[in-house]
Amino acid sequence: MTDVLRSTTLRWALGIALWSVLLALTMFAFIYWQTASYLREELAETLRLEVRAAAADPAATALRVDTWTAMDPHARHYGGFFAPNGTRRAGNLDTIPKGLPQDGDAYRVNATVVVGGRSLADEIWASALSLPGGGTVVIAHDTDDIDKVRVTTLRALGLGLLPMLALSGIGGIVLARRGRRRFAATEAALAEVMRGNLGKRLPVGKRGDEFDRLAANVNRMLDEIEHLMGEVRSVGDAVAHDLRTPLTRLRARLERSRAQAKTVAEFHEAIDQGLAWIDQTLAMVTAVLRIGAMEEGRRTAFAPVDLGELAAAAVDFFEPEAEERSVRLVLAADAEVPPVHGDRDLCFEALSNLIDNALKFTPSGGAVRVEVAHSSQAVEVAVEDTGPGLPASEHDKIFRRFYRAEMSRQTPGNGLGLSLVAAIAKLHGASVCVRAAEEGGCRFTMNFSKLIIVVNMPFAD
Amino acid sequence: MARLLLIEDDGDTAGDVLDDLRGRGHEVAWVATGPDGARSAREGGWDAIILDRMLPGQDGLGVLQDLRRDGDRTPALVLSALGDVDERIRGLRAGGDDYLAKPFVLGELAARIEALLRRPVDGRETLLRVGSLEIDLVAGTGRRGARNLDLLPRELKLLAYLMRSPGRIVTRAMLFEEVWNYRFTPKSNLIDVHLGRLRRKLEAAGEVPLIQNVRGVGFTLTPDD
Repeated sequence: MTDVLRSTTLRWALGIALWSVLLALTMFAFIYWQTASYLREELAETLRLEVRAAAADPAATALRVDTWTAMDPHARHYGGFFAPNGTRRAGNLDTIPKGLPQDGDAYRVNATVVVGGRSLADEIWASALSLPGGGTVVIAHDTDDIDKVRVTTLRALGLGLLPMLALSGIGGIVLARRGRRRFAATEAALAEVMRGNLGKRLPVGKRGDEFDRLAANVNRMLDEIEHLMGEVRSVGDAVAHDLRTPLTRLRARLERSRAQAKTVAEFHEAIDQGLAWIDQTLAMVTAVLRIGAMEEGRRTAFAPVDLGELAAAAVDFFEPEAEERSVRLVLAADAEVPPVHGDRDLCFEALSNLIDNALKFTPSGGAVRVEVAHSSQAVEVAVEDTGPGLPASEHDKIFRRFYRAEMSRQTPGNGLGLSLVAAIAKLHGASVCVRAAEEGGCRFTMNFSKLIIVVNMPFAD
Repeated sequence: MARLLLIEDDGDTAGDVLDDLRGRGHEVAWVATGPDGARSAREGGWDAIILDRMLPGQDGLGVLQDLRRDGDRTPALVLSALGDVDERIRGLRAGGDDYLAKPFVLGELAARIEALLRRPVDGRETLLRVGSLEIDLVAGTGRRGARNLDLLPRELKLLAYLMRSPGRIVTRAMLFEEVWNYRFTPKSNLIDVHLGRLRRKLEAAGEVPLIQNVRGVGFTLTPDD
């Protein structure tokens, strides 16, 4: 119950009920005021007409007053015909009411009236006129009619108010319950999300109101969080998986060698193999950490880097490897490539990874072409191969951590090389992309835009 | 052999390094904090200092900078945690002569320390001779005995580096840094391919092998006389 009392919907419902009561009160007051004024005006008009008629013919005044008072069986009509000395000649008023102007208009005054032989003090509406031949005529009516309207109005209000309050209250509770049910469903869904079920979504109604829009927005936010969590988890899973493979092999190898190795040479062989696997895992851990560090975007050691010279060194470095694979490794570099602002070791690593990748996927007899070109806007380093190429659908995915294209699952590698390239490019504000090469393979391009090309740049370091 | 100072707060790493370097015949002292390291370093008499980047009390680079400011030129190798992109540059800028990221292979540390120890005697010789092997870096020519060797520029550089430290181990990373002058850890087989081609040129059929592969660490050039 406290929950219901505390709920916003009920508070709103109560507020609305109070507001409608206030409205009803105002309306009743207005109706009462209008009705009373109408009745008052009506009465005043009657009194004015009557007093004028009575005063018009002094001979008939007494008769007129008596007719007026007799006309009413409920003793609400009063009148009086007074001699110039104030003596009553006809009617049921004892005296001319004090303070009553004798101008023929109607006023509310106190007077003493004679009803059934008894004098009563009463509040009356009265109208008086002096007669031309002396004397005064007073025509009056008691105020009970108008007062009754007030009482009736108040009673109606009192009678109407209770059912209205009850209805508002019931309406409020019904609304609160409905809102409560909607909130309860949302709260339950949120609680489940908080418990870790990121797949749960808030119920969205068909009305499309603010509440539905809010729920839809929260759902979109949850989609995004789930997507990000999925990415983080898949990286975590991939690291764990890729670590487990060599560790499992290592364990099996150690176990087997312990049982079977007889000579020192055999033990050495087992240990060397184990070291190689450990190095492989360490290299992967290092790569993950380095990508992380680079994605944080630290760049304190940047200096001008000559990408032409760098590409030449990289090609020189990979030449024997290419030759062993019977792949032609060709360098096509513009002369006088303007330097870019960067870390030469990291740029070399990025280009090495691209060349290494290209060599890996190029069949013998193919070619890998390294290009360095510059325009007024950018310096571009491209590595093109004549390998099988990549479906366009994978062009964006291959820069993700641990992503390995379907066809490359059988080739060695930890799926981090291109992620490193992407991280290094990002650190340099360079863009990296892949598209189909003209001769069928892949063409990877790193584009260092002119913004970071060094033009007499003061060396910060 | 050499007197070395190791400033390293991690006991396990320090223990492995001490065992390995002492096993190679060096005399190694170990301290675990920055201030102790600075004090020990100032006592002098060290042939080389190995110091960790992160140390309790005072940062390793701070210790090194103080030493350099006071004119101490003792060769220093900086060790740092894995994964840091700019660490090496900071280490070298603070006055380090070489840098190694953890985790490292013990053989790599030993090889680098030994390279540091002999660095001053390298000089600028352009005519190198080891056993029957002879190269002229200016002319870009090489001979083994009476046989002329047809060497590419990079092969000449590789060979020169090996010939400057005959009988000592040089690691793949050291070779790569020296010859190509970049710093990263290439896949080991790439360096092996280069060495393989160099060996085919140096070691004709029937000749004594000159370059040996030291498993898990690198290569060594053994004089044939």
